[in-house]
Amino acid sequence: MVLLGALLLSACGRTVRGTTWPGLAADDTTAYLADLSLVYAINLKDGTEAWRFSDPNDNKAQFYATPVITPDGLVIVGSAASKHTLYALNPRDLLTNDNFKNPAVEWTFTGATAGWVASPLIVEDKLFAPNADGNLYVLDLNDGQSQKQPIATIQLGGRLWAQPATDGERLYITSLDHSVFAVDLTTYAIVWQADLAAAIPGSPAIGPDGKLYVGSLASKLEQFDPQTGEHQSVLNVEYWLWSTPVRDGNTLYVGDLKGNFYAYDAASNTLNWSIQPDGAITANAILQNDHLLLATESGSLYAIGKDGKTLWSEKVGGKIYTTPVVAGDLILVAPLETDFYLAALDSNGRQVWTFPTKK
Amino acid sequence: MWNLFVSIFINILLWIYNLIGQNFGVAIILFTILIRIITWPLNAQQMKGAKAMQDLQNDKEWQAIQKKYAKDREKLAQEQMRLYREKGINPFGSCLPTLIQFPILIALYQSIIRALAATPLDLLKLSQSINPNFLDVGKLIPLNSKFLWMNLGQPEPYYILAIIVAATTYIQSKLTLPPATNPNDQSAAMGQSMAITMPLMLGWFALTFPSGLAVYFITSNLLGIIQYAAQGKANWSNLLPKSMRKE
Repeated sequence: MVLLGALLLSACGRTVRGTTWPGLAADDTTAYLADLSLVYAINLKDGTEAWRFSDPNDNKAQFYATPVITPDGLVIVGSAASKHTLYALNPRDLLTNDNFKNPAVEWTFTGATAGWVASPLIVEDKLFAPNADGNLYVLDLNDGQSQKQPIATIQLGGRLWAQPATDGERLYITSLDHSVFAVDLTTYAIVWQADLAAAIPGSPAIGPDGKLYVGSLASKLEQFDPQTGEHQSVLNVEYWLWSTPVRDGNTLYVGDLKGNFYAYDAASNTLNWSIQPDGAITANAILQNDHLLLATESGSLYAIGKDGKTLWSEKVGGKIYTTPVVAGDLILVAPLETDFYLAALDSNGRQVWTFPTKK
Repeated sequence: MWNLFVSIFINILLWIYNLIGQNFGVAIILFTILIRIITWPLNAQQMKGAKAMQDLQNDKEWQAIQKKYAKDREKLAQEQMRLYREKGINPFGSCLPTLIQFPILIALYQSIIRALAATPLDLLKLSQSINPNFLDVGKLIPLNSKFLWMNLGQPEPYYILAIIVAATTYIQSKLTLPPATNPNDQSAAMGQSMAITMPLMLGWFALTFPSGLAVYFITSNLLGIIQYAAQGKANWSNLLPKSMRKE
């Protein structure tokens, strides 16, 4: 009985796939999947593994922040584990180790005191990296250091879980501790801070009107004046808003955790339509030419017309929380609770390959 | 079904957390007291069952049966069951309440992890575990995980909690052990063994798992000690060294 209890609790405490959802990014040739203990690079043409990376100093590493690719091809990814290192991987310099190809580490940043949940944002030659310790670290991408020191540490407080957004003048960043911040991109000063009285796990979006739009766990979409930080609620939704609104002309599209998907017209301040696909929505919608792609917790991928009608839907399997990525002709989806980590679909939702290959 | 069980725990934990001014450590302590009150009859039954089993070991009839059927295990088992029936003893009466502690423990572990939401998936699961008409959790998140010197979502790094957990578990185990009058008493031997292994195991849990769980262990142990003492069943002499006990 005692042993059974120990076993059950030990199983609860292990780092296993499914602890949280993976981060997914892609460039023209490769998909990058941050999936707990490993970061995979997967060839887009056939779904084979190009390389993999594990934290050599931390066997409890957990990678799930979305990787970021620099203009010169480095893959930046942070670990949420105890050592919470931010790595810049160099795939041009591959080493073969244990039958797997591993990228060289171009540089690391070890100054954060909590894990990396948010994806950093590159603005010109600077990397703005929000950490769960409440600091926004500013790193110089071109300083040539292999052990990065931040050129600025902006103390925002709370837990920073979401990638910032920028309008070229300021950086807008949300916090789980209910706050939205505007930070000057040149002086790194906090220009304003606003309290939404609810946690904000998603990124802000800059709307067609130049306003800032932020969803929160108060189940509201808030509109901000980016100059002053004054804000008002423009859309009440059924449940928590996690995903970042996606903009198309005057329309913003956003989904909530009850599985409702809304089209909000920012110009007229009206709700155009809302639909309810088949599961909670944490992933951002993706704008394609004439439609939107939307993934749900139920493991489905939807193509939804701009009038709210479903063009097609495909059951990918498992549970999808990660925002899909469009790379060339492929739609990449990274579900949880499946025997594959990544699926590539064509533009009609037909499966092209999976990684690892289905047996 | 399991998720429903965990959801009930989370809703009650967060309700207490909100009620007492957003202190998660105190919420865990109050929640443990609530669990102890709910399981009080079970614990009382456990004590009664353990006492009955202990009495049986010293029963003349049972000792005679053991001698008589020492080489016939099947017959011995039949006679044992007959004695249980005659004396109204439920052989599972002493271990069932302990077994019930494990689902509570695991549900509490999952509740703490989910409520403190260290990862996005934990936060999502939290959103699906709470009743929004009951609690506006979006405004409570992120929970204040600081309690005294601890981060309740992380293991305590200074070994202090692990030592207190092991010590209180040991004391509780010792206090509940009845004096072994029969050298062949297997249940007493098992009790002695458990009095060593349980503190070590729970101490290891306290080292490995979030400190919120250790707060639960300590509170639960202290309440257990108080319960035994209040019922006059605490065997304080067991805490003394053997030589002093003889005097």
